[in-house]
Amino acid sequence: MKAILSRPRAWIVLAGVAALTAVPPLVGDTYYQNMLIMVFLLAIMASGWNIMGGYTGYISLGQSAFLGVGAYTTALSADWLSISPFLAAPLGGVTAGLLATLLGLATYRTRGIAFIIVTFAMLALLGVVALNWSSVTNGSHGLSFDIPTWDIAFANWPFYYLLLLLLALTLLMSWGIRSTRFGVGLMAIRDDEQKAASIGINTPVYKLAGFIASSVPIGIAGGIYGYYLSFLDPRAMFSIVTSITLVLAALLGGVGTLWGPVLGAFLVEPFSQWTNYQFTGPDAGSWRLVLFGGVLLVVVLFMPRGIIPEVQARLRKVRAAGTAGLSGRRLATVAEGGTSGAPEWLTLGSSSTVDTSKPLLEVSGVGKSFGGLHVLDGCSLTVERGSITGLIGPNGSGKTTLFNILDGGLRADTGGVLFDGKPIDGLNRWERSHRGLGRTHQLTRLFPRLTALENVVAGVRGLSLSGLRAPAMTGAEAAKGQELLDFVGLGDYRAQPVGGLSYGQQKLVELAQVLMLEPSLVLLDEPAGGINPTQIEQMVGLIRELNRAGTTFLIVEHNMPMVLTLCGSVRVLAGGHCIASGSPQQVQSDPLVLDAYLGADFRPLQGTEASS
Amino acid sequence: MVVLVQGIVFGILLGGIYALASSGLTLIFGVMRIVNLAHGGLLMAAAFLTYSLWQGTGLDPFLAIPVVGAALFAVGCVLHHFVMRFADRGGDAAVIMATLALAMILEGVNALVWGSEPHSVTPSYVNSSLRIGEIILPTVQVYGFVVAGALLLGLYLLLNRTWLGRSVRAAALNPSGAALTGIRVERVNLATYAIGVALTGAAGSIIAVLAPFTPDSGDRWIGIGLAVVVLGGMGSLAGSLAGALVFGIAETLTTTYLSSAWATAVPYVVIILVLLVRPQGIFGRKVREDTVSA
Repeated sequence: MKAILSRPRAWIVLAGVAALTAVPPLVGDTYYQNMLIMVFLLAIMASGWNIMGGYTGYISLGQSAFLGVGAYTTALSADWLSISPFLAAPLGGVTAGLLATLLGLATYRTRGIAFIIVTFAMLALLGVVALNWSSVTNGSHGLSFDIPTWDIAFANWPFYYLLLLLLALTLLMSWGIRSTRFGVGLMAIRDDEQKAASIGINTPVYKLAGFIASSVPIGIAGGIYGYYLSFLDPRAMFSIVTSITLVLAALLGGVGTLWGPVLGAFLVEPFSQWTNYQFTGPDAGSWRLVLFGGVLLVVVLFMPRGIIPEVQARLRKVRAAGTAGLSGRRLATVAEGGTSGAPEWLTLGSSSTVDTSKPLLEVSGVGKSFGGLHVLDGCSLTVERGSITGLIGPNGSGKTTLFNILDGGLRADTGGVLFDGKPIDGLNRWERSHRGLGRTHQLTRLFPRLTALENVVAGVRGLSLSGLRAPAMTGAEAAKGQELLDFVGLGDYRAQPVGGLSYGQQKLVELAQVLMLEPSLVLLDEPAGGINPTQIEQMVGLIRELNRAGTTFLIVEHNMPMVLTLCGSVRVLAGGHCIASGSPQQVQSDPLVLDAYLGADFRPLQGTEASS
Repeated sequence: MVVLVQGIVFGILLGGIYALASSGLTLIFGVMRIVNLAHGGLLMAAAFLTYSLWQGTGLDPFLAIPVVGAALFAVGCVLHHFVMRFADRGGDAAVIMATLALAMILEGVNALVWGSEPHSVTPSYVNSSLRIGEIILPTVQVYGFVVAGALLLGLYLLLNRTWLGRSVRAAALNPSGAALTGIRVERVNLATYAIGVALTGAAGSIIAVLAPFTPDSGDRWIGIGLAVVVLGGMGSLAGSLAGALVFGIAETLTTTYLSSAWATAVPYVVIILVLLVRPQGIFGRKVREDTVSA
């Protein structure tokens, strides 16, 4: 708490809350009270939307459905239970949460544009239901609340303070999400959902929790707002215009920032009220549509990132002027077996419970077809515990497809895979990574908008409440992440968004990211592809170092000298199955391998030594 | 039985018009990956334009199609040149919000120019119909179906038999690859957007005759358009033709056997169900997704 109060921003926030708390007694004019009530409502909705649309990257056009559902639930339950609508409003939050759960289930199969369409359709459908399900919703006549019983002099006060409180709680939640590992997980999903799953993030649970967090405040706000209006019109409660307005507020202030949606609400709502005041007469609605559409267009075209990110970028430019950047500096070299070796905690102890005689990975008879193309056809191979095993073969022989089957991205048509003696065929990507299976990609897949440290820390070794609540950028996990970045030589780049790093650096970050999961087996897909010889040497050093600490590697690589010096054992894929396996010496003189892959003019590399 | 057959016949006729009305949406989505929510507003603008031509000069709404189509083609060029070209800098959210902004502006402008009261275009044959046995075929719907079929055939030939069509398909599959082979993707996008809007215009002329319309009728049409696109597998023209027929039949049968109030819910139910159960649409194929496209 002390640490928080020592920051100037905390004092600004406290001053703002104090000022807003003082408004109703000090400013008697109900015009301003009403406007602030609407600002709070819009800020709550935009902040809620931001958790889903900003952090998680699921753009919803149906967010105002939560408002409508919350308002209707509150009106109906206040009537049925004969309680104050204020007491019933949390029930509105519950139904909004249930609706969000359905939406979360929808995202099991849809994302991107399809998700936008689903939310749009959901809002429109609920509008039709509210209008036509007359026995419950009273159809187009709408629902009314009992008239408030308190003194008319304080008419707005309860609504004002409750919405202010709800806004404060929503922002606290939003801040909490952002600063925990849960929030990093959501942002990882935004940048690359499949990759997020492969580093141990249980994506459906994360999204479900994110969607519920994003909808419940809006549902509660809907109940309070309905009571404030005292009458629910189905057309207004499920209006797409409300959704557009709240997305406009979030876009204007800054999507994905904590304060952006609030700033946007403080700008958009007064503007909206001003247009109400400016345009009167029969054409007022049409003029407002044109004007609002125009403003939305201007924001989207000229300020797509929003005010806060735009200002932050300018400030960063001013501050960075004149100081040398990190770019162009040479990578820190890895001391061979020296002090900056693999972190202690990565060392896999030779636990007595493990049966070390059995192979770590056993692929038996795996087949996979795409349409009529049999990419894998009865592929069987093993990877011994503690080895560095190479997987080579011509293009199209099924190496990457095998990796995709191993990490859970694809399901095999036939055959099965044993990892650590247990079948993993039915497991999800995150469950496999929790078992100790990690992989990197041929073309690196990182979360481009997250920093190097966030990328590394994003991985999780299991799903637990304490894990989700753990702070993201401080504490034990961040320290581990920093150790790993130091280990791969990129410690100085921790605060850089990885989208700006070079390809070679990204490969190293991806390796560190996988190591965060403390894997027993790491699948590397072309670790030396597209990077320079010095970096290849560095990569080889890192792999050896990690292998010494007990990590097993399976490496797909076309760089034959590297494979032959690094790997103690090699498997050759051709035509969808394993045609040879053995030591590098055996494999490179095997006539089948020469014919299928290396070519008859391949000259064996002499003096290679096995490293395991 | 007659009621059922009649319902299906109505559904097919309506489905043909739905196919045309959503072909612009499908084309723009298929090539540019943009859900053009301005679609409803454009459709209504075309309907109002048809109304003014018919009122002012007595031009038959079906003969007005080339004029309205050309006008909407120009509108499409302007919108792409000044808006859509720049909208993708802010990602998916920005693009969809840009089309929504256009939708709002169009609806407002339509209302300011033509007013909010219902308009209808009623040529002399509007209430006449053909009969085959006990089955009724309303003349307007038959004309609409025939014109829609002809225009969709033209679009098919344009995409499959011309150089422009080949560029469009290349740009749809892989924009950067198309650019590398010398296709000016920006121009292809402009042409696609303008052709899509022109087709929407042609459909607007037809639906102006089908039923009375107001500026906010566009909302209903955007729901129908999205349902057809989703049914067809998001971006496939053949798929959306089939989707439109299925959808037309589903809607008329709902109106016949349930109520017309609940028929408005059909597009949204269709969208949600299809995207939940079979996101690739009714005829869409699953493509290999595990390969990385750089």
